[in-house]
Amino acid sequence: MSGVILYHWEPNANSGKPMLALMEKGVAFSSHYLDLLGFDQHKPEYLAVNPQGTIPAMKHGNLVLTESTAIMEYVDEAFPGPRLMPKDPRDRWRIRWWMKFMDQWLAPSFSMIGWSVFIGPAVRSRDPEQLKAAIERIPLPERRVAWRKAIYGLFSEEEMKESQRRVAVGIRMLEDALSKREWLGSDQYSLADVNGFNLAYALPLSQPKLSSDDLTPNIMRWLRAIYARPPTKACWAMGRTAMVKRVAILEQPHIGQEPAA
Amino acid sequence: MSMTLYHGEPNGPSFTVLAALFEKSLKAELIRIDLAAGQRHSLPCAQQAEVAMSVEGEGPVLVVDDEGMADSVFVACYLDDIGHGPALRPADAYGRWETMTWCRQLIERAAPAAAYLGCKAHPPRADAAMLARIGSVDLRNRWEEMSAGVFAPEKLADSAAKITQAVEKIEARIDGRDWLMGPFTIADLESYAWLAGMVRVVPAAFAGKPRTAAWMERVKSRPAIVRVLALASLPDPAASWAPGPEINRWG
Repeated sequence: MSGVILYHWEPNANSGKPMLALMEKGVAFSSHYLDLLGFDQHKPEYLAVNPQGTIPAMKHGNLVLTESTAIMEYVDEAFPGPRLMPKDPRDRWRIRWWMKFMDQWLAPSFSMIGWSVFIGPAVRSRDPEQLKAAIERIPLPERRVAWRKAIYGLFSEEEMKESQRRVAVGIRMLEDALSKREWLGSDQYSLADVNGFNLAYALPLSQPKLSSDDLTPNIMRWLRAIYARPPTKACWAMGRTAMVKRVAILEQPHIGQEPAA
Repeated sequence: MSMTLYHGEPNGPSFTVLAALFEKSLKAELIRIDLAAGQRHSLPCAQQAEVAMSVEGEGPVLVVDDEGMADSVFVACYLDDIGHGPALRPADAYGRWETMTWCRQLIERAAPAAAYLGCKAHPPRADAAMLARIGSVDLRNRWEEMSAGVFAPEKLADSAAKITQAVEKIEARIDGRDWLMGPFTIADLESYAWLAGMVRVVPAAFAGKPRTAAWMERVKSRPAIVRVLALASLPDPAASWAPGPEINRWG
């Protein structure tokens, strides 16, 4: 046994990054599912593992690791199996650049849209007092703000517009990058692809006016190529929610542009 | 392979990359640009995605085979990979995870705070023609706000708190060791890069922090760092600031 315990939610966004990296490496791990919508990540049992209450976290023997992208680099280095970082130092720089760009610029915009249409409405109808208490238990002030905005629908029109602008810019940038190279940032399947798939797997469903086989053929080629990998299939099969099952859109051989309204 | 490094004053991200270059005994053509005047946006590679859309904001650009490389921590990792002498990241995977995680949290919290406070204390000054060249809309917005002297009081207060937290983290970490990760690493470079200029801007954050003060002196006295700081064209390079990474938009 590898001695790895992964604390994660769905194969989606940050949780899915170490899940897929471990599966690509062929590292068996003990899965500890946390229900994000049930606020499992802010309960004392999990805060004992990761006091910041962010998902995912990984235990390897006595070590506890957080920060999904950094965990992926650790997984790639600490275990045998196919290398998920190229040998060329400049490719490695480019891959890290893209992961940071996605983690810190593009994903938060996708996430704001996702939280406002999916996460907020999913928990909003619960008992107001329980929700208030749940928010107060969140350790990081930034995350407290995020949850409050999602639960009470406090995203401003301006914020949402800016997120939508960034999503459009980011999709163009991904399409350009994938028109130059087979994979994101290099000519080899890497952590940038693992990271990017977690962000973009449902893109033609969530952003039909910006992504399709007509509009972004390289993104679609790339998403299908990642989805065709057995570790990706196995990883997404661990998903429990309808959100994650949207990945099946990639089984369609052609996704045309949505007709203008 | 020839390299050209366009860099600003040895402060912030320019400090990190210059220091990594010298620590690793590498040679590059060094070309000074005024980041605080937006000169990065007139470089030949300015519109390459990895330069124009760098999350770091105004930072140095290393050009290798016509490819502009931005984001100081990752450029430093590149220089660490190709250079000579002791590694700038720990030898074991866990130590490297710690280094990257340290840098990530610093980049996300302390760096935007330092750039915001630094620009308030030492305003950047790009003309309209330069601003028009900026490829990233949100970076251009930060420039426009800062040029107009618009600084939100709550962001200034939050930024000062973030600097205080970063110094507290260093003070706790340096207990019984010389460097943040044990061996000298990119985490020392990046932490010094963003915090050295804060000593005068947020003095309260550094008050009663003897281990942090001693660590800063150790960084400064390394032979490679002495050479980096000697490149300054201003009496106080730590007073040179340009719009940096954006303050977290939400959660």
